[in-house]
Amino acid sequence: MIYGKITKSIVDELVAILGEKNVILDEERMENYSHDETPADEYGHMPEVVVTPVNTLQVAEVVKLANRHRIPITPRGAGSGLSGGAIPIYGGILLSVEKMNKVIEIDYDNMMIVVETGLVTNEINGLVAERGLFFAGYPMSLETCFVGGNIAENAGGGKAVKYGVTGQYIVGMELVTPTGDVVELGGKIIKDATGYDLKRLIIGSEGTLGIVTKATIKLSPLPKAATTLLVLFEDVDTAIATVPRIIAEGGIIPTSIEFMDRLSVHTSCNYLNEHLPYQKAGSMLLLEVDGTNQKQVDEDAEVIGELCLKYGAIEVYVADNYTTRERVWSVRRNIAEAFKVYSPHQSLEDIVVPIGSIAKLMPKIETIANKYGIKIPSYGHAGDGNLHTTLVKNPDSTMEEWYEIETKAVVELFDAVHELGGKISGEHGIGSKRKKHMDRMVSPVEMEMMRAIKKALDPNNIMNPGKIFDQPN
Amino acid sequence: MNIVVPIKQVPETSNVKMDPVTGTIIRDGVESIINPLDLYAIETAIQLKETYGGKVTALTMGPPAAEKALREAIAMGCDEGVLVSDRKFSGADTWSTAYVLVHAVKKLDDFDLIIAGERATDGDTGQVGPAMASALDIPLASYISRIDSVRADGMTVERLVEEGYETLEIDLPALLTVVKEISYPRLPTLRGKQKARNTELPVLTAEDLEVEEVYLGLKGSPTRVVKIETPKVTRGGTILKAVDEESMNDAIEELVEFLKTREMI
Repeated sequence: MIYGKITKSIVDELVAILGEKNVILDEERMENYSHDETPADEYGHMPEVVVTPVNTLQVAEVVKLANRHRIPITPRGAGSGLSGGAIPIYGGILLSVEKMNKVIEIDYDNMMIVVETGLVTNEINGLVAERGLFFAGYPMSLETCFVGGNIAENAGGGKAVKYGVTGQYIVGMELVTPTGDVVELGGKIIKDATGYDLKRLIIGSEGTLGIVTKATIKLSPLPKAATTLLVLFEDVDTAIATVPRIIAEGGIIPTSIEFMDRLSVHTSCNYLNEHLPYQKAGSMLLLEVDGTNQKQVDEDAEVIGELCLKYGAIEVYVADNYTTRERVWSVRRNIAEAFKVYSPHQSLEDIVVPIGSIAKLMPKIETIANKYGIKIPSYGHAGDGNLHTTLVKNPDSTMEEWYEIETKAVVELFDAVHELGGKISGEHGIGSKRKKHMDRMVSPVEMEMMRAIKKALDPNNIMNPGKIFDQPN
Repeated sequence: MNIVVPIKQVPETSNVKMDPVTGTIIRDGVESIINPLDLYAIETAIQLKETYGGKVTALTMGPPAAEKALREAIAMGCDEGVLVSDRKFSGADTWSTAYVLVHAVKKLDDFDLIIAGERATDGDTGQVGPAMASALDIPLASYISRIDSVRADGMTVERLVEEGYETLEIDLPALLTVVKEISYPRLPTLRGKQKARNTELPVLTAEDLEVEEVYLGLKGSPTRVVKIETPKVTRGGTILKAVDEESMNDAIEELVEFLKTREMI
């Protein structure tokens, strides 16, 4: 791909559109925009210029300019992505929506909020909590991500079993297309059968089909009570076999069903100095139920707890207040940190398989780990089959050896996932990190459909190029 | 071994907000939990029961809602819970609270040991446990970090002091206050929760305890809160920046010099 370079005259044009303070050329400041949460030395790349527009019109003008001069443009939210989606791998213009962070309207009659996409997603819940509402699509309370990034990746999280993912709550959006047109898709409506559902096409397109500048988000009633169960099982099979029974037999959809394998449990508990009797646990499930009152929630938790015991759980712990809930959740939240003590060099994966296949996948992962002498803990969202299987470098091997092992082990992992009818990303996206696997994992016809859509909307391939898949020249 | 564990319900403080005018905690919508430091007392008591037999009774003074704390304690493994509740107790200071709790203890079966948490995370006084020992006229060992051995008439315990540890011999019955180091509190289990729900909790009132009214509640409390102030942070702190090897070495040198001037090394 031959792209235009950022010249003095293009910088002048950008300054004319955005004003001087919204155009960044300083190397040190630009460095912050050269990586996301993937390892910078492996996936990072410097932009040639960073722009921080303050309104949609400026975004559209910058896109038109980029399109005119065939300059790659990479949209970016908070930069907390895990697939390299917001990294300007061809240099060019990095467009950060960080200054477009206004709440435009809170519409309580329709239970919707309209925001600019540079808003920190977590802030929405703070704004609407006092009216008993929340944004259910991305309720991970510890994140700093932006609305724009969540839409680009169709982000999920720990509560997707019950509440689904970001896309289900985005009812409308304002989009700047790759040719610089501004279009409204959807609106403050729940149903919409008026032609193609283009907003759903944009959601999860990783910024390759345009830049979402505003979003209309559906809000939901905020649960008033929650109880968490930490359940110890002897092995993965028993734990995973229990998951569908909870929903089918118990008639309850938990908010979260988080899974941790033996390695994750033991490493995290050891790291936290947690003295639960975890030594005998080959697997743990963390199940949370929420609802409108504590009594109902406790009853639901009891039904689930009884089912777990019926199907072979060693022990069921009940956390129904802040202290105990924090304690059990910290086991799950600290897994990644715990492994960083062992080695900071990791590849955090995001595989998703049919729930019934998780148990079949585990021995295959163990085989890969043993073959390459690395650790591969698996933990994640058992309720939807989305596992954050993580390849952790053996501290004794060199970086060269690690890169080679990582490449081979990831291929074998993805092949195993593919065989079981799974996909290589559930919520982090493909970005630049996983695109090399797409042709093996996705059928030729489906790839052709994706490339045709990209070609139709972005004829010059300037909008976040080199993400998800490469376009032929 | 019959053990009594006095516990307290406190506001969950990690998300707590202070009223800027009165300087007190805004309690609206704040969850009540067992005082986190009492969990170590509960765990210690349960472990002793598991080793030596007997029973553990959780005891609390508070409004009717405090029964939630007792049920959580039973779910962890305590056998019984007793709620001491009366409007007349409201506003009691540490002395008056200890007075009431001691009368409640006297209404229970004979005890061998009382184990209390080091202090409550809200009042932060650490007075009620020792005051109970004093009123009951039994030996007190505070800040206990380990129980070395238990005999029929006494025990050997280790106490955490600033300089290290002290080993104490103490006759039973006695009262211990324990520090975090002594145990890792267990989590309540589903079976424990079910048992707790079905356990009847006796409620003792002022009348049941045969206490003298002049010693109850705010009026019976010798402590007077004159003023509550929010402390101002006066230490500015110095940040030493280190971005590469050279500045790292400079920063280390500067830190060492600083510690020397303060005679800390």
